[in-house]
Amino acid sequence: MDSTKLMKLREESGIKILEIKTDLSSYAASDLRKVLEDLLAEKVEKIVVNLSQVSHINSTAVGALVGVAKRLRQNGGDLKICALADNLTRTFNLIGASSVVEIYESENSALAAF
Amino acid sequence: MANADIKLKIPSAVFYIDPVRAFIGNLAKNLGFSRKRVADIQLVIDEICSNAVHHGSIDTTVGVKLQIRSDAHALEILVRDTGSRHKGPKNWLTHERLSEIEANRSPSNEGGHGIFIAKSLSDTYEMKINAAGGTDVRVVFQLLKPADTKP
Ligand SMILES: Nc1ncnc2c1ncn2[C@@H]1O[C@H](COP(=O)(O)OP(=O)(O)OP(=O)(O)O)[C@@H](O)[C@H]1O
Ligand SMILES: [Mg+2]
Repeated sequence: MDSTKLMKLREESGIKILEIKTDLSSYAASDLRKVLEDLLAEKVEKIVVNLSQVSHINSTAVGALVGVAKRLRQNGGDLKICALADNLTRTFNLIGASSVVEIYESENSALAAF
Repeated sequence: MANADIKLKIPSAVFYIDPVRAFIGNLAKNLGFSRKRVADIQLVIDEICSNAVHHGSIDTTVGVKLQIRSDAHALEILVRDTGSRHKGPKNWLTHERLSEIEANRSPSNEGGHGIFIAKSLSDTYEMKINAAGGTDVRVVFQLLKPADTKP
């Protein structure tokens, strides 16, 4: 049982795109962290996380995204997220994480921002 | 609609939080909470249950209990864990510890947002040490706010 199968990885012009196809509560959050840690270990520098198919996110999953974004920036890279449902945007705003991680409307605008 | 008093017990594992979240989400929706409110309720339940599993359970076998009460005015949820004795002082719920958690919360921190979220999104939020030495978290969501009963 793991949710990593619901996290699809692609690459476009040197940017890794991680598309999440599961809700991000604590169960999937640890898998999300694992997938992101693997990318860090592979020295990936630019990541876009597409959340268009996510209808729920909790603080642990937001924390994982914030943590990886901060670490990537130390080496000149970044993690950006895109396509958030309204309630996800509210959660990021409530935590204050929207001032730490860059949020874009669409995958294309996130890619273009690199 | 009759008043309800529902009891659930799940193993102390994050795997079981999703089904609980789905159940409470459906219940809240049927009780007439707005979509936005349902999402908030689901997030609060996720945070409280995640804390019960991560911080309030020695291992997966001990279990987390939920008591869910609803009537025409409110949805009330109690989440009871048994504490994890090997984790620090017996009573973690001191005024000092809570102010420390609150003072240390920063948007750029990876953790430490769960209690803040649950407090912010519920109408009543209470934490107490229970007889087992674990934590009882009680939250209430009031139904009869005009803005909340729209679909
Ligand atoms: N049920 C509990 N039993 C024991 N300690 C708890 C419980 N709930 C919370 N705590 C303590 O309060 C702290 C803050 O909890 P909070 O949910 O705000 O953040 P967190 O769980 O550390 O991180 P996250 O942002 O992922 O939720 C925890 O680190 C833990 O020490
Ligand atoms: Mg927590």
